[in-house]
Amino acid sequence: MKKRAGLSWLWFAIGIVYFFLPLVATFLFSLRGKKGVLSFVAYEHVFADPLFLKSFGFSLEMAILTVLVGLALIVPTAIWAHLKVPKARAVIEFFALLPFVIPPIILAFGLIRSYSSGPFSLVTSPVLLVAGYVIIAFPYIYRSVDAGLRAMDLRGLTEAAQSLGASWGTLLFRIVLPNLRTALLSAVFLTLAIVIGELTLAVLLAWPAFGPYMALMGRNLAYEPAALAILSFAMTWGAIALIQLLTRSGKDKEKGASLGSGAH
Amino acid sequence: MTAQHERKAAAPGSGRESAVSPGPHAASPRRDKRREGLAWLGLLPFFLFVFAFMILPAASIFTGSFQDAEGHFTFRNIVNLFKPNILGSYLITVKVSATTAALGGVLGFLIAYAISLGGLPKPLRSFMSTFSGVASNFAGVPLAFAFIATLGRMGFLTVFIKTFFGFDLYEHGFSLYGFWGLSLTYTYFQIPLMILIILPALDGMRKEWREASENLGASAFQYWVRVGIPVLLPSLLAAFILLFGNAFGAYATAYALTGGIIDLVPILIGAQIRGNVLHDANLGYALALGMVVIMTASIVLYTWLQKISSKWVKA
Amino acid sequence: MHKRLLFVLMIAAIMFTGCQKKAGVAGIPGGVTATTNMQALIDAAKKEGQLTVIALPHNWVNYGELIAGFQAKYGIKINELNPDGSSAEELEAIKANKDNKGPQAPDVIDVGLKFGPEAVASGLVTPYKVTTWDSIPDSVKDKDGYWYGDYYGALAFEVNTDIIKNVPRDWADLLKPEYKGKFALAGDPRISNQAFLTVLAASLANGGTVDNLTPGLEYFAKMNKAGNLVPLIAVTGTVASGETPITIEWDYNALANRDTLAGNPNVEVVIPATGVVAGVYIQAISAYAPHPNAARLWMEYLYSDEGQLLWLKGYGHPARFNDMASRGVIPADLAAKLPPSSAYANAVFPTLEQQTAAGKAVAENWDKIVGANIQKK
Repeated sequence: MKKRAGLSWLWFAIGIVYFFLPLVATFLFSLRGKKGVLSFVAYEHVFADPLFLKSFGFSLEMAILTVLVGLALIVPTAIWAHLKVPKARAVIEFFALLPFVIPPIILAFGLIRSYSSGPFSLVTSPVLLVAGYVIIAFPYIYRSVDAGLRAMDLRGLTEAAQSLGASWGTLLFRIVLPNLRTALLSAVFLTLAIVIGELTLAVLLAWPAFGPYMALMGRNLAYEPAALAILSFAMTWGAIALIQLLTRSGKDKEKGASLGSGAH
Repeated sequence: MTAQHERKAAAPGSGRESAVSPGPHAASPRRDKRREGLAWLGLLPFFLFVFAFMILPAASIFTGSFQDAEGHFTFRNIVNLFKPNILGSYLITVKVSATTAALGGVLGFLIAYAISLGGLPKPLRSFMSTFSGVASNFAGVPLAFAFIATLGRMGFLTVFIKTFFGFDLYEHGFSLYGFWGLSLTYTYFQIPLMILIILPALDGMRKEWREASENLGASAFQYWVRVGIPVLLPSLLAAFILLFGNAFGAYATAYALTGGIIDLVPILIGAQIRGNVLHDANLGYALALGMVVIMTASIVLYTWLQKISSKWVKA
Repeated sequence: MHKRLLFVLMIAAIMFTGCQKKAGVAGIPGGVTATTNMQALIDAAKKEGQLTVIALPHNWVNYGELIAGFQAKYGIKINELNPDGSSAEELEAIKANKDNKGPQAPDVIDVGLKFGPEAVASGLVTPYKVTTWDSIPDSVKDKDGYWYGDYYGALAFEVNTDIIKNVPRDWADLLKPEYKGKFALAGDPRISNQAFLTVLAASLANGGTVDNLTPGLEYFAKMNKAGNLVPLIAVTGTVASGETPITIEWDYNALANRDTLAGNPNVEVVIPATGVVAGVYIQAISAYAPHPNAARLWMEYLYSDEGQLLWLKGYGHPARFNDMASRGVIPADLAAKLPPSSAYANAVFPTLEQQTAAGKAVAENWDKIVGANIQKK
């Protein structure tokens, strides 16, 4: 046991070093806004720009919508497929990998072409953007939920619960979902990060999102983009940590039935 | 619940399981078929959404691969895909994607293991998992610039090593602006993605199994070969293909870091669709179609591997 | 029988009214030549309420002030798309939004010279001759009014002088060993206008002609071999950080960067002694513009003395420069801020055909001649 912990510390340390060195380098560069001294003037410039918080807020809003729509669409589908139509999983997995090879520029042009006129004119509504984001995030959401479902004995739990007289609602909300907590959180985190940083779809569909804002800043400024990168990293991390915190306190209250899975 | 039962349940769909429902099973095949048909209906919202917002839009653009700039039908774009420099691009894109999927997969697995089953304090796990959430999408220009600022010629680490150890990385052949530099950069978002994807699977590994195997005298190695890896294999394969796809479609990071010197297919697509010099959008669409084909082939390979691995698990 | 006739008549009526809508815009006489009734144009534009522009970064020849100025003068809101976009993306945006009258469809475009004929051939632009049409030089406009030159600049060295003490003055200097690992192009020559014209300029400086780019490619192969060429795309950040302290950009961009960095670090902009290539950008109105009158008003604004001087303020030479200079309307202090006109004495303006052919040559041969070694790593 002890030996394992030692090795674990090693891998953890390697991970920390690898992840933080580039961030430290970026941070140090962002402090060079004023010649010769370390100063936060680049950060001041960023905060002084009203577009910064506005675009971040917009992207955060879109991210939350994408999470809600994405989870509502994919979680029931994945559970249904696992339980009722296992053959469908191969088909869903195929579709779940397609968004990687459809370049966002093609998806954007396609969405515009299909929904810019006629009975389904959606171009002026953020619905199209959220739909596009759900498609982009869907491989990650599905993969997380799928991993979670594989790791739990869905069939056994379902059988046991139903033989005890549980309804579908109880089954879903008090048994399956609590056991999927890790997977769901992963899906939420991934989606949030993807949408907040997304660039191409937002640009081509003409929405004032954070990704285009960052790209614009990066065009001709030197130190502000580095400050922006650090800030966006910190703020996204904050949003994610907040979600982690909120779900934790919620979960502690509810002792959902977890039939001997002991996974946490 | 025995370990064996767990493994069976965790194995990917072999198609033999029938729908779970209380009550007697229908004896007639027709009722089964109808039940199955109705079951597929439950997936309708999903398929409708995917069709409406992915298949239809993408198809309307992909038809452009079979057209020329004036809209006439042609196979020229597809034929052009077989030019040696374009085939070379596909090859190197696959290479980069597979390499970083492997690197990210292995390192991500080790770190995920460390924070879940490795005996580290709990808070480190939430730290690493929330961090991974952000880092998994830290890509594109900011990531490229972060690595330039670290390992570029004037990078913080390069200068540090030169000053304190007198060793000039670039004089000795290292360069961030090449295959390995790019792979190193890609791995930055591959590792966190792996961590997030494999954590639920690791959570599903029961401590009891490890304890039981230790009680029976098995070494750590034997545990992993006989129990650990087989159970995790489906999830590992699934994670690998996800990481592969993630790198396969990446564009912004590569462009910012290598200035297009390394000819990845997404960069070629960008060059045709947005580039000012060549600008043959239809060739760009054909290139993208080629990527879909390769991805489909990878998925077929992956599905086959899943089938084989599930047989191994059952054995 | 009657029902069918009615149906056909109905369809015909709908189509007829649809056609009517496209043909003339309310009250403005003639689509091609400039309106003599500016007030009517202004009113029609104001009624449309919005103008959608694309790929106009604020510090690219001072578009920021032009956009603000237009909005202030006419009270018409400007919707800015994709500031980072390339010329090709602008054309693709028009194509993709043909049926879309929403905010994603651009009204006007500002693209590189060689995209003019392409846009015309693909039916993407509609002709319009501004009031000041005659003072735009013939060599930079389409005779039917489909597109017209707006500003030009020459390729210049942008040097971070905090790191580079000995500033290079010409192409041959860049090959010297003191600049090892110090130079990068500001784009991928197979993708970016600026970058492939850089290869053209290098070619001219080394004995090539506009039609023969091999000396240019060989120059960069030499530079790559010497280790002077960093295979990275130079941006303001990498120039400032010293990763790519020397790059080559349009003079107006380099000068704007110098101003933005404001001494942190110091930047010097040098027009090379030989091999000076100038590039023209052109304006055009989209054939599918959702706000055609606002688009025309924007053109009138850009080509008025006021608009042209704002471009000059952004270090770009406006198309009507000679006309305005001869009339004495250029303020002396503004003229002084530009690089001396002697530097432009030998500037070569590659024609459309030359640019297209040169672009192809670079795109096809860049990998073979220059990139060959780098890919191995």
